[in-house]
Amino acid sequence: MKLLVCLLTVFGLAGAQEIKLPPSIEKLADKADEVVDVTLDANMLGVAAKFLSEGNQDEATAKKLVSGLKGIYVRSFEFSKEGEYSVADVDALRAQYQPPVWSRMVGVRSKKSGEHTDVFIRQANGNIAGLAVIAAEPRELTIVHISGNIDPEQLQHLGGEFGIPKLELEKKKQATTPEAKPQAK
Amino acid sequence: MSRLEDDLRQALSRQEPSDGFADRVLARVQAEPPRVSLWERLSGLFRMPALRLATVAALCMVLAIGIGFEQQRRSREQGEAAKQKLMLALRITSSKLQTARTAVHSISEE
Repeated sequence: MKLLVCLLTVFGLAGAQEIKLPPSIEKLADKADEVVDVTLDANMLGVAAKFLSEGNQDEATAKKLVSGLKGIYVRSFEFSKEGEYSVADVDALRAQYQPPVWSRMVGVRSKKSGEHTDVFIRQANGNIAGLAVIAAEPRELTIVHISGNIDPEQLQHLGGEFGIPKLELEKKKQATTPEAKPQAK
Repeated sequence: MSRLEDDLRQALSRQEPSDGFADRVLARVQAEPPRVSLWERLSGLFRMPALRLATVAALCMVLAIGIGFEQQRRSREQGEAAKQKLMLALRITSSKLQTARTAVHSISEE
């Protein structure tokens, strides 16, 4: 088992650029209070999709999303205290998502909260062929790697589905926008 | 009392059987068919090839059906487990994308 943990985990097989998860990140499972480890290749996605119900909204959305995917890999670690993982290791992972294959779509860094989130996409023939999210927080590290065709419209709706409430950002924006004052004649 | 004793002695005294009694008993024993136990009756049935074949076929069918049910049950379990993992993965992805989106909106509002 220890040997298996030490071996490099490889994301995104079958012809795509392989992303190697550093062994030091895999070993975080021993230190973390909570670990989420999901590895679903094309076969398992096919099996899972058969059991998704059209009657359930979340599952119906998932079924549409999954139809073009080749793999979903998630590693999420939650720690009881800060400083349990090395920023250098996370940077080494981020460095693998480089052009020309990958491009960074969003990069958010907050000194206040210590959060650093990057969203990468891989494009092929004008379509999105991969998505990666690396979210590093002081007590939590999450790595998501999705390979396969993703519909941009589904991607847009992905935030706010599966039990995660959509934030009413549009209404909030309208409330804060000052009303235009009529010009005096 | 003595009369009672005499009557009892007479009633329980040894009586000699009639002539030919032993021969009659032996003849009757030989005439009766031998008793066959249940096991011997059942095993006798299996001497018939057709019945043997039918029994083996029935057992094979029961085994095949049992294995089929077990495989189906395992497939269903695996499928449900895969589905749960998929939904969890999508929830986590959704949550992190939402966080990034919120941060971008907050920055653009400032």
